[in-house]
Amino acid sequence: MPAKNFRNSSTTFMKTPTDDHELIRWIDGEMNETERARFEERLKQDPALSTEARKMRALSDTLRAHMPAEMRVPHADYFNTQIGVRITQMALDDARARTTTPSWSAQLMQWFRQPWFALAGAAALAVLCFLVMNPAGSGSTGSMILSSYTPNTHVQARTYHDQNADATVLMLDGLDAMPADRKISGVNIRRSEVEPELASTTMYDDKGAAVLMISRDALGNPLLSPEG
Amino acid sequence: MPAAAATDPGEVSDIDLVKRSQGGDTRAFDALVTRYRGRIYAMTYHLIQNETEAWDLAQEAFIKAWRALPTFKHDAGFYTWLYRIAHNVCYDWLRKKKIQGDGEFDDERSEHRVAVGAEAAPRGDLAPDAALTNAELGSRIHEAIAKLSPEHRQVIVLREVEGLAYEEIAALIPCSLGTVMSRLFYARKKLQELLHDVYENSH
Repeated sequence: MPAKNFRNSSTTFMKTPTDDHELIRWIDGEMNETERARFEERLKQDPALSTEARKMRALSDTLRAHMPAEMRVPHADYFNTQIGVRITQMALDDARARTTTPSWSAQLMQWFRQPWFALAGAAALAVLCFLVMNPAGSGSTGSMILSSYTPNTHVQARTYHDQNADATVLMLDGLDAMPADRKISGVNIRRSEVEPELASTTMYDDKGAAVLMISRDALGNPLLSPEG
Repeated sequence: MPAAAATDPGEVSDIDLVKRSQGGDTRAFDALVTRYRGRIYAMTYHLIQNETEAWDLAQEAFIKAWRALPTFKHDAGFYTWLYRIAHNVCYDWLRKKKIQGDGEFDDERSEHRVAVGAEAAPRGDLAPDAALTNAELGSRIHEAIAKLSPEHRQVIVLREVEGLAYEEIAALIPCSLGTVMSRLFYARKKLQELLHDVYENSH
């Protein structure tokens, strides 16, 4: 890089890239003690360099004051939700990609006790969960509950995988006792689909009928369709 | 390297959240997203200078981080690791933009476009805040940063916003220390040129 001229009121200096580097190293505090002392001595002798150094440091200070290291994320809740949806979608895609036999889905059954959801609705409870069918190569199966949410803080949602039933069981603790004569019927969830744009998950039974859709309202709270 | 956000006593540590995330706990990962989204978004915003693109790229960085979590070894802080991912996401985006052909990435051309030592150096007392309101000055700085070449913008953000040392910048980009210093110098010269009237008006 060619040396550059810059003019002072009385003298013309030849400025080199080394000068440029020294200048910004001084501004950024990248000099050791000896270098700094030598450069500051030079600044005393060179008014033009001193002025340039002062102005560049002022610019640096102004930039730091107006470029925050942390900013408010627009639609922050939606930002998080979308990440969750995309992670779910990736898990589903990975599961599908790993599928080697057409019968794998027959091994993956999750039982949702529909009246539990009805009861949950009565108790103002909503549970959000993403079920990910996750066949692991050789045919072993599993599910992953990605998240759950209970607006009613007295109700706790827990999940576990029951190997004997080959099912993911959703436990809702804290609900009122169920009447002994209540008839409980089950729904087999055969598969689920995530709609990233709608941030929703739809669950289908073994006949391909949609039985439940989980999404979020404008405030980010879970919505169940049809309502419990 | 950029430091992790200070955590309140009693707050779950990054390490705990990362370990739970590595086990597939998305709620733990969601907590990490909430903890660092503001800093990652600020970084992508300063580099890209477009709110929508910055939002998307910040999200992309978290998605990539989730996918790469099994490889995270805890030998670096989570934020440092995440920061590198976000930086690379932005850099790839800028590189793709260059390939699509706006020619903006011509670092040499950008460096020589600045008239070093001539009109670039602002005259008068340096008190821009006295002449412009904070918001106006912020807006002018935003516009000026947007006019920098991506590589000049990159070193300015890494140095002025993240406070990285030259060696850290060189390792992250990656490039030589000399290149870091040259880019920083010319980026600042260019900004002085672009913000010249701000300083003059404050005189």
